[in-house]
This record gives sequence, structure tokens and C-alpha cells, in this order.
Amino acid sequence: MNRGNRILLSCVYWAFVLYVFVPLVLMILMGFKDSKFIGFPIRSWTLDWYTGVFDDAAVPSAFIYSVVIAVLATVISVIVGTWIAVLLEGRKFLGRTAMFGLTVLPALVPGIISAIAFRIYARWLGIEPGMGAIVWAHAVHNVPFVALVVMARLSTLPKSQIEAARDLGADPIIAFLRITLPYLVPAILGASIFCLLLSFDDFVRSFFLGGYEPTLPVLIFAKLRSGMSPEINAIATVALILTAAIGIWAERFTRRMNKESRND
Amino acid sequence: MSDEVAPRTGRGPDTADRKRLTFWGALSSWTPYRVVVGLATASPRRQFLILAAFPLLWVLTQHLGPMLQMLRVSFTDAYPVAPGVEQHFTLDNYARFFGDYIFWQPFFRTLTFAGVFTFCTLILTYPVAYFLARHVSRKNQMLMLLLLLIPFWVGEIVRTYAIMILLGNTGAVNQLLKSLSLIDRPIPFMYTSFSMGVGIVYLTALYMLLPLYSALEKLPKSYNEAAADLGASAWTRFRRVTLPLTLEGISSGCTLVFLISTGFYATPVLLGGPSTTVFAETIAGFFHVAGDEWPTGAAFATIMFLAAIVLTGAFQKLMNSLRKGDRN
Repeated sequence: MNRGNRILLSCVYWAFVLYVFVPLVLMILMGFKDSKFIGFPIRSWTLDWYTGVFDDAAVPSAFIYSVVIAVLATVISVIVGTWIAVLLEGRKFLGRTAMFGLTVLPALVPGIISAIAFRIYARWLGIEPGMGAIVWAHAVHNVPFVALVVMARLSTLPKSQIEAARDLGADPIIAFLRITLPYLVPAILGASIFCLLLSFDDFVRSFFLGGYEPTLPVLIFAKLRSGMSPEINAIATVALILTAAIGIWAERFTRRMNKESRND
Repeated sequence: MSDEVAPRTGRGPDTADRKRLTFWGALSSWTPYRVVVGLATASPRRQFLILAAFPLLWVLTQHLGPMLQMLRVSFTDAYPVAPGVEQHFTLDNYARFFGDYIFWQPFFRTLTFAGVFTFCTLILTYPVAYFLARHVSRKNQMLMLLLLLIPFWVGEIVRTYAIMILLGNTGAVNQLLKSLSLIDRPIPFMYTSFSMGVGIVYLTALYMLLPLYSALEKLPKSYNEAAADLGASAWTRFRRVTLPLTLEGISSGCTLVFLISTGFYATPVLLGGPSTTVFAETIAGFFHVAGDEWPTGAAFATIMFLAAIVLTGAFQKLMNSLRKGDRN
């Protein structure tokens, strides 16, 4: 009975693995098709779509634009998110629950509504649509994720370490810089990479706050609206491999760092 | 200060260490720094205020600000305001929503779709989470979970496109069915609520899987064993033990997926058709045209947000009462 259940469940798991991987694998394969028409079967293969990606100047520039936006937004959200986490974790004060609710608010607002609200607010602040507006919207949207990850890590910091530092004469700022901050490094790095990917992949905020220059997802969207072509598959595959590789590397990296600091 | 502590390490600090220590030592004995720190940390109250000021300012102006500004604009008759024109407050934008069928149809469609897709995601991912948490050794658990995480690092647009290739008329599914001679003509999957559902479930599955997995993983195996010893069948064990004790994971997973599903814009545009227009497309429409439609868009976005919050709030209340009812 139990054994039968187990086999059935493992089939469900592998079916699910197929469900999440097959569409992506098919999309990658289609980028090597030697024909303009998207569709199966693929009879002959080519690399032309990939070499074509670099001839079209719009793709590399959209790529660089997206990376710059992601890096700037991540720097802002990491600083703000960490600060908020330090305030919220292990401290009791009036309005802490409200403060926590407000902190996670941007992560809970559905995508389209958050994009509209940011667009209206940017207009009110006088920020023109374009890079500044996108960076700002991504930064605000990502703060909750940083705050949650850093709070989780901070809750495991032994209080005795801070107390020992203070007993040895360190003021609160030096104790923070030399004890708390180094302890938070794995969480901060993990959160940074998560933010980089969130921002790099974001469509809806970039679409509504962007100027004339498209980010990579916005460019792919625009190309898709004017028709499917293996060229899009080539662009999407490059983006896919890059983000998945960074994601996997970050996962391994943060796990190793967590393990090391636990052994200390 | 720190300099005195250093030599205790035995062999004596190397040069890099000494430099760092002298830096911190120098910093803490540097008069301007000491004055500033002294002032800032004079009392716990002042220290707290300095720590709290910036985060408080940030969440009020950056997290709450955009939502409040959206609410304010939704009550105005023109935004952005043209020079020389006076702005008036009005309820017309809300009246417009309730007055026209073409507005509230996509609204209710969005909520229905989001509800149905959330339920599908739950049904699809619960057995996967259950298998991972219950039938896999701890070491393989992380690996098998990581395997599922990989596709989720890929962006929304790329994954939507992958679904387009899967379900198109010359797509993989139709070609497979054709080669098995199950069909003569391709089934038109695309631009229907079906293709949209497949896409949205594909995009949100992870947000359901992770809360379910962590709820199932926390549940001690002994509970099930005890129930089995008392003669409960597998189905009864699941219904009376596992399911009630993972309600919290179900509740947070569903809330998250529901909120995300209502907010999709690009996926319905690319995978849906004229008969599946969702409210996100309606809202976006007001921002593509001349500026005076912004207040209506803001009002519609406010309505959508309130509806989503009220529904998820009611759902969480329901789940909480189920949990409490079960304990008695």
C-alpha cells in the first residue's frame, strides 16, 4: 500500500519536472531551427539565429541596459532592506506590526497595480519615464525580499557576541560593523542575487515606467507582439541560460556560506 | 582600545590584521567620531530614533506613498493636471466602473480565473510537495527541490513564450497528437482561457510549492504513524491529520498565488484572446491613451486591489477558523 503510494507520488513528481522543463527545452531547440516558421517538426538546424542576435544592435544594448538597472536597483534595495531588517528584528516597539506590514506591502501588491501606482507616483515626483524611474520602482519592489531574508539570518545571531563586543568597549556602530554585518554577509549576498534576477526579469514595472529604451524583457515582448521568430528564441535562450546559471550558482554559494558559518 | 586586545591571539597578528585593528582603534579614538557616536547613543531612546527614522520615512514615502497617491488620483477629474486647468474631486471614475458591462465583465473574469488557477496550482503542487517532504531522504530533498527551482529563475516573458511554442497550432502538443494520429486538425489551444491557465499555473507553481513543502516538512511523521496504529486508513490519515495540519501552508500559498495571478499583464496579452480580456489589460488601456484617462485607470486599479485584499483576507479568515475548529 505504502509502496504503491510512493511509486505513484514519484511519478507525479517526475511528471511535474517534465512540465516545468519541457516548454523551456522546446523553446531552446526552436532557436536552432533553419526556418523562419516556429513549429514542429524541426528538419534542419542552424546557428544563424544566434549570430544574428549580435548583429542587431538593439539586443546587446537592451541587455546592458537591463543589467545596469538591475545592479543599481539591487544596491539601493540591499541597503534599505538591511536597515529595515536591523530595526525590526528582535526589537519590540509601538507600531512594529504596522511597520512590518508596510515593509512587505510592495511584495504583495499585484504586478499591474504596483506598476500603475509607481507610474502615477513617479509623475507626481517629477521623475521622467526611463532608467531612473525603473531603477526606483525595482528598488522599492525588492526591499521586502531583502528585509525578510536578512531578518531570518539576523534572528540566528547569538546575542552574546554583540554583548561581548560591547563589554570589550566597542560602541554600537563598531559592534554592528564588525560583528553583525559580517554575520549577515551570506544573507545579503543571497538577497542581492535574488534582487538582481527579479529586476533583470521584471516586465510589468519596466514596461510602464520605461522611456524609449527597452529593457530585455520589454524588447522580447515587443518582438513577440510583431510575430514569433526563431530569433526571439535565440535571445530568450541567452537570457535563460544566464539567469538560470546565476540562480544555481547563488543557491550553491549561499548554502555553502551558511554551512561554513554554522560550523564556526 | 582594540589594539590591546589583539596580541592575545598567540603568534601575534600579521600585518593585515594589525592594519585593520589600528583602523578600528583609530576610528574609535578619533574625536569627531566619538563626539558623533556619543551624541547618537547618549540614550537608548535617541539611539532607537536614529535607527528608526530612515526606515520609517522610506516605508511611508516609498511603500505607502504610491498607493495613497493612486487613491488620491482616482478621486480627481484630471491627472496629470494641465497648466491653467483646475483639478476637481469627483466620484465619476468609480461610477464609470459600475455603469458599464465592458468594465466589470473583465473584472469578475479576472477574479474567477485567479481563483480557478490558484486551485489548479494547489492540486498540481500538493502531491509534489508531499512526495518531496515525505518520501525523499533529506539529502536528496534539497537536490530535487533545486531541480524544480531552476526553471523559476527564468523570467516571466521567456516562460510565457515557451508556453506559446508548446501549445501553438504547429506546437509540440499538437504535433505529438497528430503523429499519434489522434487528431487530424490541430486543436486551437492558444488564445483561450486554457492556454492562459497553463501559462499562469506555470508561472506561479513555485509560490505554491514552497509554502506547502515547508508546512509538510515541519509535520512530524510520528503523527501519521500514531493514526495508522489507531487503525486509520491512508485516506483518513490524509484527511484528518496531514491536511488539517498543513492548512497554514495552503492558506499562505493560495494567498500568494491569487495575488500574483490577478496582477499578470504580459501573460494574458500574449496567451489570451479577445474572449479572455483580463482587468489588467483594461487598466493598462487607460495609460496608453491621453493623460486624462489616468484617474479612471487609478480608480480601476484601486477597485482591483481592494477586491483582491478583501477576498484573500476572507479566505485567510476562513482557513483560520477551519484550523481552530479542527483543534476542538
